[in-house]
Amino acid sequence: MSAQAKLYSLFADKLFNVCLKYSRTPEDAQDTLQDSFMVIFKDIKKFKYKGSFEGWAKRVTVNVALQKFRKKSIIKFDDIEESKIPEEKVYVDVEEKEISLDFLLSLINKLPPQYQLIFNLYVLDEYSHKEISEILDISVGTSKSNLSRARKLLKKEIDAIKKLQL
Amino acid sequence: MSKNIDKLFKDKFKESKATAPTEAWPVIQAKLKMRIINRLIYTFSVLGFLGLISFILFSTQTEKTLSKPLLKNTSLKNEVILKDNDVKEVKEVDVNNDKLPMSKPQENSKKLYATIATKKESKNNTPLEKTTFFDKKFKDTVIEKQVKKIDSLVNNLDNLVEDLKNDLKKEKKKLLKKKDSIEVEKFNNEKRRRWNVIPVFGALNSGRLSKNVTTLGTTRAVTYPDKYFDDNKSSGLISSTYGFNVVFRATNRISIQTGIFSKELRFLTEDLFLSEFIPDVNPTNIIYNPGVEVRFSNTPEIGGSESASLAQTIVYLEMPFELKYRMFGSLKFNTNIIGGFSFLYLNKNEIRAKTDIFSRSIGRASNVLTTSTTLNIGLDVEYHLSKRLVFNSAVIYKKHYNTYKDYNNEYSPYTFGMHVGIGYKF
Repeated sequence: MSAQAKLYSLFADKLFNVCLKYSRTPEDAQDTLQDSFMVIFKDIKKFKYKGSFEGWAKRVTVNVALQKFRKKSIIKFDDIEESKIPEEKVYVDVEEKEISLDFLLSLINKLPPQYQLIFNLYVLDEYSHKEISEILDISVGTSKSNLSRARKLLKKEIDAIKKLQL
Repeated sequence: MSKNIDKLFKDKFKESKATAPTEAWPVIQAKLKMRIINRLIYTFSVLGFLGLISFILFSTQTEKTLSKPLLKNTSLKNEVILKDNDVKEVKEVDVNNDKLPMSKPQENSKKLYATIATKKESKNNTPLEKTTFFDKKFKDTVIEKQVKKIDSLVNNLDNLVEDLKNDLKKEKKKLLKKKDSIEVEKFNNEKRRRWNVIPVFGALNSGRLSKNVTTLGTTRAVTYPDKYFDDNKSSGLISSTYGFNVVFRATNRISIQTGIFSKELRFLTEDLFLSEFIPDVNPTNIIYNPGVEVRFSNTPEIGGSESASLAQTIVYLEMPFELKYRMFGSLKFNTNIIGGFSFLYLNKNEIRAKTDIFSRSIGRASNVLTTSTTLNIGLDVEYHLSKRLVFNSAVIYKKHYNTYKDYNNEYSPYTFGMHVGIGYKF
């Protein structure tokens, strides 16, 4: 087994999970995964052992996914002044066991692209608002406001489906 | 139970055990190989370009080194000539020109010039030869190195292309296996509809194998199994067959086919006469119906004869046993080879007399056996009109065996026909 194959077998599943979050279909996710590995193999010398390799590979994958995402979607961020954004936590009334990952993925995919991106980056991939603002070339306030709207939309969807089930 | 929405998503995604699709790695491998190939091609091009540039540069340098000593020699020539005031004219003289003016000073100059020219030549030649040899050696080494590099690159490229080809072949094999398994699955799913009943109608062109008969030194082909008709022309006529086939699909490719058919063979023997007079010599293999007073003869009789033809009809009850092998096909369309045999049971044996005025049954052939067989071979095409209805068309050649008594298959009939039908699968 070549070094590249070993690397692939170690990280493919983890990175595929990252790709799924930023892709509309599993086929898109597979494309992103392939392209990400191509970049990882090409730029592996750039990894300077600062932090884990997995973290670096995930960042590469997120970057590739973002590039693809931008190509496929028209993204228009809502601009709001930072001071007007309330810091809030959103709660949903659900039994966690009743909710599947596929269902959550479908909810994320339903979000407008700008909300989807920021929600993924902040919540799922644990980027800070500052990092998001640098990656997406937006203000910290815009990142916060879009995240807040994403949360609200997700809550609305979950509540609506819960009502239907009742 | 209330839960923070961020935590809900985070936890679920952490639990997630989605696996990367298996197809992704072969694609990455192929892309990596393509990248290496591209790199090699790029390196190859760059080296080629550098090689070309260095070759051009060396060529230019060689030209320069060649031209420099010549210039020096020219100056040397001028120097020498200018020093000698007596031989000023010499500088105008061509070295190769033997016809110099024969004045005294010129004669001296000629001698002097000859000495200088010899010196010049010897001075010119030595450095020129050395430079060319050095340059040539150097150039050769550089070119050899380039060629070796290119060779190794080409070898690497070949290996990579070979690897890529092998990988793609493996992928192709995998896909074909997958296709086969899908077909087998399809076959298994369709197991419930393995039987097919097809009412069939066919048009046949029948004939008989000929036998060469020599009479009075002349050989001719005879096709009627009765010596009495050796001189008469006999040929097959278009006939028909109808019945139904029952097909059982044993495997995805092989089907077994049987059925019941009524198969007709028709032959016409011409240039005969029908006479009321009963001659002593008559066809040995015809049994005339009771009450029939006319007889066939191949010569007109004294009592009066009428031109006639003998039309023979043989009808069999046929039961084929055939195997069909599916060569190629799709969901809608299949092509099969058919091979097998048939049992025949004589159902009708009739001889009719045909004249310009009437056609009448007058008897039967006595030499046709009640049971016989055929060997069948053909090509069959199926077109699925729906899940249950199948249009079937086949071209089949059937060779008859054991048809006539005492003739040891010499006049064996054969048929070549087109069979069509619409079958119902169940």
